[in-house]
Order: sequence, then structure tokens, then C-alpha cells
Amino acid sequence: MSEVLLRCENLARSFGGLQAVAGVSLSLPAGQVTALVGPNGAGKTTTFNLITGNLRADSGAAFIRGRPIMGLRPWQVARLGVARSFQDLRLFTHMTVRENVLAATETSAWFWQPGGAAARRRREERAAAALEATGLAPLAEARAVDLAYAERKFLSMARILAAEAEIWLLDEPASGLDLASRLRFGELLRAATARGVAICLIEHNLDVVVELSDRIAFLDQGKVLAEGAPQAILRDPALAAIYFGDRPQEAA
Amino acid sequence: MIAYAANLATIVAIFGILAATLNFLIGFAGIFSVAHAVFFGLGAYAGAQVALLLVPDALLACLVAAAVAGGLSLALALPALRVRGEYFVAASLGLQMMAATLFAEAKPVTGGIGGLVGIPRPTLLGVEVDVLPAALSALALILVLTARLQRGAFGRSLRAIRDAESAAEALGKNVAAAKTLAVAFACAGAGLAGALFALHLSFVNVESFTMDQSVLVMAMVIIGGTGTLWGPLIGAVILLSLPSGLAFLPFIPATEVGAVQQIIYGLAMTLLMIFRPAGLVGDLAKGRSTA
Repeated sequence: MSEVLLRCENLARSFGGLQAVAGVSLSLPAGQVTALVGPNGAGKTTTFNLITGNLRADSGAAFIRGRPIMGLRPWQVARLGVARSFQDLRLFTHMTVRENVLAATETSAWFWQPGGAAARRRREERAAAALEATGLAPLAEARAVDLAYAERKFLSMARILAAEAEIWLLDEPASGLDLASRLRFGELLRAATARGVAICLIEHNLDVVVELSDRIAFLDQGKVLAEGAPQAILRDPALAAIYFGDRPQEAA
Repeated sequence: MIAYAANLATIVAIFGILAATLNFLIGFAGIFSVAHAVFFGLGAYAGAQVALLLVPDALLACLVAAAVAGGLSLALALPALRVRGEYFVAASLGLQMMAATLFAEAKPVTGGIGGLVGIPRPTLLGVEVDVLPAALSALALILVLTARLQRGAFGRSLRAIRDAESAAEALGKNVAAAKTLAVAFACAGAGLAGALFALHLSFVNVESFTMDQSVLVMAMVIIGGTGTLWGPLIGAVILLSLPSGLAFLPFIPATEVGAVQQIIYGLAMTLLMIFRPAGLVGDLAKGRSTA
């Protein structure tokens, strides 16, 4: 069994009367891709937001390598090795592709980064490697706002690669990608898991889920209903009914 | 004529510092402050008091002024950390109005409406000096610092925060610290300009630190080009030399110069926003409507 890099226990969060996340427990082992699957509103993105500190949990706990992270700010969680992507990408639109990626390597808020020229060279090398891996090197001086959709998606991935995080939380990273781009994206994920990165991805395209994930956690109404191998989860008729909106009526 | 040109150059250099530091906030950090004149005023009063109460040493006055304005910049940084966009503009507007009232009322420190008069001529190591070389040196220093910060990791962090704050934070950037530092740097620069202003005029009062002054500096930044190095300085040169230039035109009666100036300002701003929305030295493609 691989080492568990991130663990959540009974995370819960409500918004007014809506219980968005109702006791989610989840483990992300090193070198594996875990897919969070479920219908819209199941609490998938909210779970990400609770882990990263973008939202405060009403209850529950989360740990990175056993270290509690509840109550930390998003930048503190990021510095512990968590990188995330967003559904709406949130690129630094008026910066170049290279600057977007370089910015992911520079975490100090001070007027200068620590480590001097050697550290700067190392950061530039990391950025260059991330651009190379995502195929964006020829577009390094283009502004992010001028990129095509698939290129923007890969820029979002390049930032995560350059950050050298060991836990990736990816929110619909493959949506809208054509087949060739999806294959490239799959290669990126496989290379990362080979290095021991723990990946959690939210994805609605079930072909992508089957193709890339090692296991699935199925969420509905803020709870993990089932967890297991992709084929076993996706073949479950009750879960399929929930996913495709054919929810069985509860007895009155 | 030489004295007139030297006076104009000094004022341009001082307002160039103000515009360059405001541009750092607007163009790089995305903090649309309309309270820059507050920190200009704080620096001016601090510099004037140093000259009046201690010694009229230009360097000491500038350092104290920058420290006072930079230290009190937390008054601007706090709202900047909590709200963005139009909400921050409203918060900084409130700060500007409150500060102008305080400047007018705090007579023991500011001299009230009458201001502080009789500020001695500046010295450097005991030798009397002109403000112009000091102002030009300070402007050069601010431009070099701004350029270095802008091109380096700190500038990149600020631009990342400006474009997508949550994504920047998700990449490990301490947004609150970066914004606070940016505000402190810009306000310290405004304070430095204030000290030079006080030493140059030998007199300061609240009239120079009102909302009008903040808007004038913002106009310099927008006309020159936000997010550019030279744009704000060019904006300062244009907006400060225009009145002087008009005064030399023989066909405009002296009594009408003010009215003509307002018409030219209005027309120029309108044409600029239509044809060069990113300012005179800004990226031509930026700011254009794509609809």
C-alpha cells in the first residue's frame, strides 16, 4: 500500500440550510489517481475548497502526511505541497505563458526570492521543464489571454507541474479537450504518478475517469456513497441512476 | 525664465514620483487608490516638521517622511486586503475625505487650514541645496526601484494577484503580505515626494492634499499608461506643463487660460480613452472593447 499523502476525516460544510459536504472522508495515496465522481451539486468542488483552505469546514479534519491542515490559509496549504486547478482555470491572463509558470515557482512574498542567482536559475529551469512537458515552450512569450482553450488548460497544468507539488487537486482538467489533447493530458498524469504524486480529479467525462483513475470515490449530496475500482463503481446500477439523474424515489 | 523652468522641472519631478508610485499600485497590484494625496500630505507635514523642529536636512526629511507615510500605509492596506474593485475605490475615497478633514483640524501638527509656513531652505550635510537635483535623484531612484520590482518576482507576484488572486494564493503566494508591501512601498514613495514638495515651496497646507490632487495624479497615470514605466512620468509632464504652455499663447487672454485648460483636458481624456485606452505609452491592444 502506498503512503497516504492527504487524508480527510468527516469534512462537513453547510451554506445556510444546504448541507454541501456532509462528512466526507477520503485518502489520497502517493502514485495514484483518485477520481471524485458525482452529479452536479454533489459537493466535489466544495470538498476541494475545504482541503485547500478556501472554505472553512464546519467540522472534520484533514492531514498532509499526518500534519493537520484545518485552519490554514490557502497559501500555507499550497506550501505544504498541494497544488490545485480551477474549473474556470484562473490564469494570470495579462502575463505571458512563461511568466504564468515562473510565478508558480516563486512563493516568497518579500521583495526578493531567497537563494540568489542559483535558486533563480533553478526556478527558471523548473518553468522551462514544465513548458516543455506541456508542449507550451513555443508559446512561452504569448500572453495567456491569447491562447486557445486547450492551450489554456495545459498552461493551468504547467503551473502545477512547475510548483513541484506532491498532491494535485484537479477540477475538471480534461473537460473540452479533444482526443489528442486528452491523450497528452493522460501522459502528464501518468508521469506524475510515476514520480509518486497523489492526484485527485473531479471529472464528468467517464471515459477519462476510466482511462486515468486508479479508484473512484462517488459523491452524492455531500457524502461518499461508494469507493472502489473504476469499473466496479461505474457498473453499479444504483450509482448510475443517481449520476444520470434517474434517482430512485424515496418511500413516502 | 530659468527659475521658472527650474520650478516647473522640480514640480514635474515631484509629481513624477507620485504618479510612478501610484502606478505601482494601480498598474501592478490592481489597487485603485484614490487616496494617494493623503500619503503625499503625510510626507509633506512630516518633512516640514523635521525641517522646522530639527534640521532642514533634505535627506533626513525625506527619510522621515517616507517612514511616516509608509508606516501609516496600513490605513490603506487594511481595506485593500478585504475588498477589491469598486468597493476598494469607495473605501479609499472615505480615507481621502477623512484625512483631508484631519489635516485641516490637526493644527498643532499641520497648522490647520493656514498650513505650515516658513519651512527653511533645505540643506545637505549642512550646505544649502536646491530641491531640483534632490527631486530628480529621488525620481531616478523611484523609477529604478519600480523597474526592478516590476520585472522581478515581486512584480510578477503582484500581477498574478491582480489577474487571479485565488489562483496566486493556491500557488503559495501570501497575498496579504504582498499587497501590504506594495502599498507600503508606494505610500513611502508618496511621502518622499511630499517632503520634497514641502521643502520646495517652504509652505504646505491641506489644499495640496485633497481629493482633487489624488484625481490629478490618477489622471497622470491613466493618460501616460498604467502598468508602464515611463507612462506616468509622461502623464505628469503633460498635465503640469499644459497650463504653463497655454499661458504663453498670446491669443488666449490670461483670464481665460483656466477655462481653455479644462476644455483641453476634457477633450484629450475623451479622445485618449477612445483611441488609446491603455494610455500614451500603453499597449495599444489593451483596454480596447472586443464587442
